[in-house]
Amino acid sequence: MNFVGVRGWFYLISLLVIVPGVVFLAIAPGLRPGIDFTGGSTLTLDFETSVNQSDLREELAGLGHPEATVQKLGDDTYFIRTKELNSEEKSALTDGLEARLSPDGLTELSFDLVSPVVASETVINAIYAVIAAAVGIFIYVWWAFRNVPSPFRYGAAAIVALIHDTVIVIGLFAILGVLLEIEVGTMFLIALLTVIGYSVNDTIVVFDRIRENVTIHPNRELSEVVNLSISETIGRSLNTSLTLMVTLLALYLFGGTTIREFLLVLLIGVVAGTYSSIAVASQVLISWEYGDIPWLFGRGRRQRAAAA
Amino acid sequence: MGRYGRTVILIGVIVILVGLILGFQTISIADFQRGADTPLGLSLGLDLQGGGHLVYQAELTDSVTGEPLEVTPDKMESLKRTIERRVNGAGLGEPIIQILGADRLLVQLPGVGDLARAKEIIGETASLEFKRREILVPRDVTEITAEEIVGVTIGYFPEPDPVPSEGGATSTDATPEPQTAEAESSKQVFALVEFTEDGAADFAAIFQKHFAEFVAFQNAQVTGGNAPPPGFLDVTLEGPEQLRMPEVFPFSIQQVATSTTFGIAIPGASPTGEPPILEDVTARVGENPSIFFTEIQGSVDEPIGLTGDDLSRAFPGQHTASGQPIVNLEFNDQGTRIFGELTQDIIAKEQATGVRDQIAIFLDNQELVSPEVRSAITAGTAIIEGNFTIERVQNIALLLEGGRLPVDIVLIQERDVDAILGADSLAKSVVAGIVGLALVLTFMTLYYRLPGLAASIALVIYAALVLAIFKILPVTLTLSGVAALILSIGMAVDANILIFERMKDELRAGRTLLMSINIGFDRAWPAIRDGNVSTLITCAILFWFADQLGASIVQGFAVTLAIGVAISMFTAITVSRTLLRFLATTRATRATRVWLPSGGSEIPQMASD
Repeated sequence: MNFVGVRGWFYLISLLVIVPGVVFLAIAPGLRPGIDFTGGSTLTLDFETSVNQSDLREELAGLGHPEATVQKLGDDTYFIRTKELNSEEKSALTDGLEARLSPDGLTELSFDLVSPVVASETVINAIYAVIAAAVGIFIYVWWAFRNVPSPFRYGAAAIVALIHDTVIVIGLFAILGVLLEIEVGTMFLIALLTVIGYSVNDTIVVFDRIRENVTIHPNRELSEVVNLSISETIGRSLNTSLTLMVTLLALYLFGGTTIREFLLVLLIGVVAGTYSSIAVASQVLISWEYGDIPWLFGRGRRQRAAAA
Repeated sequence: MGRYGRTVILIGVIVILVGLILGFQTISIADFQRGADTPLGLSLGLDLQGGGHLVYQAELTDSVTGEPLEVTPDKMESLKRTIERRVNGAGLGEPIIQILGADRLLVQLPGVGDLARAKEIIGETASLEFKRREILVPRDVTEITAEEIVGVTIGYFPEPDPVPSEGGATSTDATPEPQTAEAESSKQVFALVEFTEDGAADFAAIFQKHFAEFVAFQNAQVTGGNAPPPGFLDVTLEGPEQLRMPEVFPFSIQQVATSTTFGIAIPGASPTGEPPILEDVTARVGENPSIFFTEIQGSVDEPIGLTGDDLSRAFPGQHTASGQPIVNLEFNDQGTRIFGELTQDIIAKEQATGVRDQIAIFLDNQELVSPEVRSAITAGTAIIEGNFTIERVQNIALLLEGGRLPVDIVLIQERDVDAILGADSLAKSVVAGIVGLALVLTFMTLYYRLPGLAASIALVIYAALVLAIFKILPVTLTLSGVAALILSIGMAVDANILIFERMKDELRAGRTLLMSINIGFDRAWPAIRDGNVSTLITCAILFWFADQLGASIVQGFAVTLAIGVAISMFTAITVSRTLLRFLATTRATRATRVWLPSGGSEIPQMASD
């Protein structure tokens, strides 16, 4: 199969996935930030008495928390997000709900509090972390491919694939944020960094083949070598990502609700990462070599004919 | 065979070690203590066992004046110690307290149920308190009149056992029956006091009050709370001689079931405290002595509004005359006034009643020291003297000085997980882990056949090895850590898949089995190495990121993933490879099909070794 020849289609598919996500990201509310990024409090409450969601909302407003949002997690288990609560405010809230809704009592399964100071630091640190990870990986790939012509491009292509996957995940979460009111928190961030790790891992497997084949066939066109390398690694790529997806699916179905968001990111990330190593990272190498985007890279035009 | 043989031995040793580490719930070799009452003895994070995660920020500006405050590493260190002492003193389990960055403190309270109380204890600002300990005068118990006491018998307390004894009498009888000498020696001699209905009620009220006070006092000792010393009864028996029993322990008074008779245990007269012999007691007071009660009401601690805020300095010193170690106290203006009034009052009371009150000093509701007041002190400086060692004096001074938190703190982050939710998450993680691993193993074996089976065995060893390392280091397993662990299993699988695909290529190219195995591993190695190194880079960055914030879930994830990835390289290269080489030397070599993935029937031929 000629993977290199259809790179235009690959880019188009990527754009089709990325653009809606970016649009959703741009229009409000975009990505729904959880308390980790905005500050505030969340409580998971398990009511002994049967409670419905609208009553709970009403009572929360009655207790002076009109800002509270409520999510149903299970039978009479609710996830409530409010402004930052101190100890007294929290007991006032739980005691109030217990008195009004659940005379048989309620259990506070979890409570989180993040102050706005910590939240803004988290955002800044998250941005630093992603940039640092990208730079670290770029330098490592550049160094690992030092014996291949233009090793710099391999590093850059890996980063392009990485950004591609990150944007897809963030974009899809912006869509999910609008449709399903899914919020993102620290776990989302960890998941995103894991996706970055996985994406690079997957890209490197394909690049490793290219590195090997370039040495074996020094006289062949890069397009041919890349095509050969993709064909040789596609079996492994599909098997690995399928295995990983099955594992993640098992976690998603059997694991607790606490890490669902995390697993959803990974599931999307694994698909995106596998796709991008074949359809983005490798193709960027070709586009760069053959000057597909000459106004951007400004060279390599001479070999353009050979790519077709 | 030499190198290969050594590898087999190495794997064998690792498997045995891993089995031993995970097999024993707890490991204890000299100072090396690992393991807990958890699955496989792993240490579990807050989200898997419940507990609280609190991050405090030191105030950088004065809340009243708005002036900037200096937060030095020394102050943070002292803050950490103060909070450590408070949490430990309150019996709130084993806290993990850590300074984050320059001005933050992380307090982790695993398995603590009452987090509201924990936060209260940690956040208390002025915890050093001076109280007046009023020593109360003993009084005769006038509630019980002589008419209310029907009679007193010296004897053994009736046993609850209803089975008739050898003598034929039932043991519920109030009057003791003669028993064998052996049984007698192990029994306690009681003064059995029979009251009228009214008398019994009065007596019960007094001794139950003392009992409750005693229990409260004991609980306060354990939990670091505050309770006044309990009251006691002084009991005097009078026959031919007088037998005084001072401060009768509330537990040594018992009511004979459903009757108006109470037994008061008579303590031994011997220095060893052995129970007295019945004959000795009756020889002194007769069989039916008369009885008198005096109540010692203990003391009452009264707050006087003097706290650590009023103390400006506390430092160790030496008594100028005796050279004894002492603690010097210096009060500020308000402290001087309150302390002066207090000591004058105490001296006035002493002159009137002859009873000398004390000043009890409480640190975080735990009594630190309670000196007597010898004179009125109005100058604002006092000394605490006693039979102290130099260490004790230094300690008291240090605690008095450090009574208030060295810096004010605000709670900026909190994550509480209920133990039920934690247990639920743990159970689900275990199930998810087992299902995930089982699916991977099934896939590997069905698709890659014999090599897949070898890889599956390697993966099981891998999973066990990672858990064993977690237990030894120890790494605290969190929910995100479980996710990382399962992800690292995925990556370990990837390494195997890479190797098998390469091996397949070599087999198809017509190489021998052993050669294919070796070349397959060599060819796959650079990809495995580079992929894993990039993951390790991500882990290192995550770890750094988490360290900045004290985000333990992120840190747990990074550490778990890093260990997982590092071990996966080892097992994929060493264990899988050795197993495959071993299989390649067995009869399995002949069945060439089992070495190739499902559907891989187009091998040209297989050269035998």
